[in-house]
Amino acid sequence: MPIDFPSEEWTVAYREALNNSEAYREAGKNWTHGPIALVVKADPAIGLEKDTAFILDLHEGVCRKAWLTEDMAEAEQQPFCITGNYGQWKQVIRKELDPIRGMMQGKLKLKGNLPVIVRFVKAAQELVNATSVVDTHFLDE
Amino acid sequence: MSYDSDLNFTFAHTPKLVFGAGVVSELGSTVGEMGFSRAVVVTDSFLAEKTDLLERVKKSLGPRFAGAFTGVIPDPTADSIDQGAEQARSLGADVLVSLGGGSAIDTAKGMAVVLTEGGKVLDHEGYHALTRRQTPHLAIPTTAGTGSEMTMILVVKDPARGQKTFIGSYFLHPDLAVLDPTLITGLPAKLTAATGLDALSHAVESLLSTLRNPFSDACALEAMRLIDANLLRCLEKPDDLAARGQMLIAAALAGSAFSNAMVILNHALAHTVGARYGIHHGTANAMFLPLTMRHFIDVASDRLALAARALQIDGADGPDEQAARALADHVARLIAAAGINDRLADYGVEENDLPAIADMAMSDGSIIYSPKPVFDPEEIVGLLRQAL
Repeated sequence: MPIDFPSEEWTVAYREALNNSEAYREAGKNWTHGPIALVVKADPAIGLEKDTAFILDLHEGVCRKAWLTEDMAEAEQQPFCITGNYGQWKQVIRKELDPIRGMMQGKLKLKGNLPVIVRFVKAAQELVNATSVVDTHFLDE
Repeated sequence: MSYDSDLNFTFAHTPKLVFGAGVVSELGSTVGEMGFSRAVVVTDSFLAEKTDLLERVKKSLGPRFAGAFTGVIPDPTADSIDQGAEQARSLGADVLVSLGGGSAIDTAKGMAVVLTEGGKVLDHEGYHALTRRQTPHLAIPTTAGTGSEMTMILVVKDPARGQKTFIGSYFLHPDLAVLDPTLITGLPAKLTAATGLDALSHAVESLLSTLRNPFSDACALEAMRLIDANLLRCLEKPDDLAARGQMLIAAALAGSAFSNAMVILNHALAHTVGARYGIHHGTANAMFLPLTMRHFIDVASDRLALAARALQIDGADGPDEQAARALADHVARLIAAAGINDRLADYGVEENDLPAIADMAMSDGSIIYSPKPVFDPEEIVGLLRQAL
């Protein structure tokens, strides 16, 4: 049964997928830079009424905790906060938009230290690869 | 050479550029036409005290000159930018005028952010996180190299964390770039060569980058052609205004190219040896450039061949791979003729240092745009060994 993106259920499934990914564990083993917030901008036309963020507490190749929040102050206080609209995150999940390229092109907005993010390009790829394990239902389909 | 069917890009640059010998004398009226009345000049103490450049800008601004921040330092720190912003605020600045190389222009970009957004410059680190126009900024480069007058990036050193960070945003492009070759005739030969070759590296690397696009390629190719035709002329005759002017244009074109397409492995190596051994950024780029070009011939000979043909060098009419090799050889000769014959060993680098340099370069962000992935530090050690 496909899971709505974004939702609590999707967040739980994604964390599990990530922690089952040997490739992510290896690529992210040196990540000690703190949690990453991924903000999906509100899109009332598809039923997403408020900005919604996933916060991933990543540490040394493991996702220690993942949660969903509509509190943007909480998202923005994380060491890294990446913001995009629904369509852009959908492109990322479908591997149609490389997240680092997306940041470079201004499609995704990053608050945080860019050099740290780009040093972990392989981990970023594996973060995206893990989404493919989750049977996802997009709200605009 | 063609582009992939999934070509997808954004191209942005400084909206207005004025060029000409003596155009700095029109700065005051330009500032007035733009509606500003209190210009604060951002420069370093050398230009302020040892040259007449600040005086020329001050004279041009006339009553619109509100004051100067002369505390720009090489590789600007967050503190130096915050201090500059504080001074500009106390002077009531409504426009910043940067005068200098990349450090002055980057300092002014950071000051513009602090003046508009408040707080300290590091509060705003990130990429495309700014959401509105920043304090207006007019950039006047006094070197033909960094191209910072055309870019949306500022580099800030944060000594507390022992690292450099970036702020990138389309709102960081200066509002105007003023390219006046009369401002750079006094640039010493070594600096003329090193900064000019930095610009050449920007052009070549953006052409090889995975983020390249038709617009960045056009800028890169013309930049390469102008540098090839004019760098040695500047060295032979420093007051040749035509050659100096074309180098300024080339640096700006290369700046536009790499601001959109980024740089690659060559800059990763230059950043690393610059940080570890204090090698000048332009010199370090020049040391590696022909090696990097040859390293990527197997995946990018078409692009290098295109450049070889644009430069009309000997061997350009042959097959792509042959033309690409001819270009790398040609660039190596240009670098040597410009007087940059430095080797890593000249700076105390030894064979057993190479693995550590390679490891550090692997973690430099620039490396990820290389035309083929660089996953093995041994590859880099091989390149470094050739520069030893």
